[in-house]
Amino acid sequence: MKNARAWSVALVGLDATLVEVEVSFGAGLPHTVIVGLGDTAVKEARERCRAAVSATGFGWPPSAVTINLTPATLPKAGSHYDLPMVIAVLAAAASVPRPPLEGTVFLGELGLDGRVRAVRGVLPALLAARQAGFDRAVVPASQLREARLVEGLTIAGVGCLADAVSLLRGEPYPEPELAPVEATERRDRLDLADVVGQTEGRWALEVAAAGGHHLAMTGPPGVGKTLLAERLPGLLPDLTPDEALEVSAIHSLSGRSLEGGLIMRPPYADPHHSASLAALVGGGSLIAKPGAVSRAHLGILFLDEAPEFNSAALEALRTPLESGRVVLARSKEQTTYPARFQLVLASNPCPCGWYNVEGNGARCGCRPQSIKRYLDRLSGPVLDRIDIQLRLRPSKGGPLTSVKADGESSRSVAERVLSARQRQRARWSEHGYTRNADVAGPLIRRSVRGIDGLAVIDDAVRRGQLSARGVDKVLRLAWTVADLMEHARPDRSDIHVALGMRRGESEEVRCA
Amino acid sequence: MSERVHDRRDTGVRGEELAATYLTARGWTLLARNWRCRSGEIDIIARDPDGVLVVCEVKTRRGLGYGDPLEAITYAKVKRLRGLAMEWVRSQEFRVGPVRLDAVGVLVGPDGLCRVRHVVNLEVR
Repeated sequence: MKNARAWSVALVGLDATLVEVEVSFGAGLPHTVIVGLGDTAVKEARERCRAAVSATGFGWPPSAVTINLTPATLPKAGSHYDLPMVIAVLAAAASVPRPPLEGTVFLGELGLDGRVRAVRGVLPALLAARQAGFDRAVVPASQLREARLVEGLTIAGVGCLADAVSLLRGEPYPEPELAPVEATERRDRLDLADVVGQTEGRWALEVAAAGGHHLAMTGPPGVGKTLLAERLPGLLPDLTPDEALEVSAIHSLSGRSLEGGLIMRPPYADPHHSASLAALVGGGSLIAKPGAVSRAHLGILFLDEAPEFNSAALEALRTPLESGRVVLARSKEQTTYPARFQLVLASNPCPCGWYNVEGNGARCGCRPQSIKRYLDRLSGPVLDRIDIQLRLRPSKGGPLTSVKADGESSRSVAERVLSARQRQRARWSEHGYTRNADVAGPLIRRSVRGIDGLAVIDDAVRRGQLSARGVDKVLRLAWTVADLMEHARPDRSDIHVALGMRRGESEEVRCA
Repeated sequence: MSERVHDRRDTGVRGEELAATYLTARGWTLLARNWRCRSGEIDIIARDPDGVLVVCEVKTRRGLGYGDPLEAITYAKVKRLRGLAMEWVRSQEFRVGPVRLDAVGVLVGPDGLCRVRHVVNLEVR
């Protein structure tokens, strides 16, 4: 028989489809064609496969070789089809037995010397394979750990094509050596205790972490905006197992190694302000790849020097901020990526950074027009989606002598955050929410009915200081403050604090 | 003529000889060998057992270092072979029927043993 088939997986975003790699040897002059709507990486696979096969000591069949990837109308991208194609060719040439190919998915890029190299998206691909009823997988040896995160599959890691052939023939092959990995993330080792002063900043960070609220910080250069933002992930609780799997799948797709295990900590993405629209929300030709907003899914998206960002890129954040996902339509496929991130913006008050800064206002030499132009780049619609406006001021007094010893450590703040999260989960679980920031407007309004102190909010609306969306945001914030204060329901002072945080009047902070 | 060039031509001639023997042994009638015209040469023109006229290209190699002998017959070469076949048809006094293009690959092993592969009906793609 001159036919054989092997299985692989096509990924369009996080949606995976099982792909049958068929090989047939026909009559005619020796040549090899690959059909099935592959991208350039798939087309070029022919050269890699031929070299790898001959480097492994097999001859490329001297026939008319047709390799077909079905479903033929689904666009296929990536280099992970190399391994299944070669395996199917070798099976058709009777160099490897056919039976073990059924129920097995193959993923791997081939080197010219026959090495099997790492590919993107092993985790989401294998999750799909398991769902489709497959029970075995062959992956690059260097991604064995990532593949083993998917339970219920028998997984083999192969370092080179010869290993894969031995495996299929039932012969012994070298068990891959797993390189040691660094377990903890650098960012989780950053401690809030390192931040000198900035009581308001710490408090705002704690509230943002507890309720999952979006945060915008303004302040002069060097006041500690980046310092604070980088310490936010350390305050957040671990991801739940389901969340971890989702986050890990996205990061696998964007090429990050998961050899350290599932991503259990909330991710942190801080794209540089020169980031393009595609880099931020995802993009690419044929099939869009995840952008920074998706890499920050269930974690933090920190935009430092926010007004310097391309305004089109910033505006593009509006839809994912509302819906928690991005839908990227390309000519061949439409892709949806989850993007439920917590947004943290940092900006200066003006181009030079000193406008209206207490005691230093005179240092600002910016013209009014340029200040306006600078601030206008952060548009109203984006700022309206921000829950907490924080104005940071330089610490008064000398940080080395007058400020009390170290501030509170991340660990003890994280404990309060965790207990506040538990209160939220208990309260909203029947409605399917886990954080105050996610709760729908009607529900949050119903939840505060009859509470003392709501008049201030109505007042702010009447005076035009608060939008309808803003009301919901203040109420959500008030709940988070109440959770941190261990109040059963938000009281008058919680609402005052929330309103102040929303409007950036930090004087009222911590009046409770 | 240097020794190596002579060697190479020798291989080619031996391959063609072998291909001719191979085809006649299978009931083919040879009409011409090494038919030349301005634009090139046809290795073998023959009639197969079903009576179809076949223009046949023979390619011989002494090893797989440069790939299978038949891999050397590229798209451009098949196209040229078709042109030659037309030329041959035109040069004939009587009308000839349909003509098919075939290729025979001869691989001469290091021990002198040869492997022949015959591809029927080359497609000009």
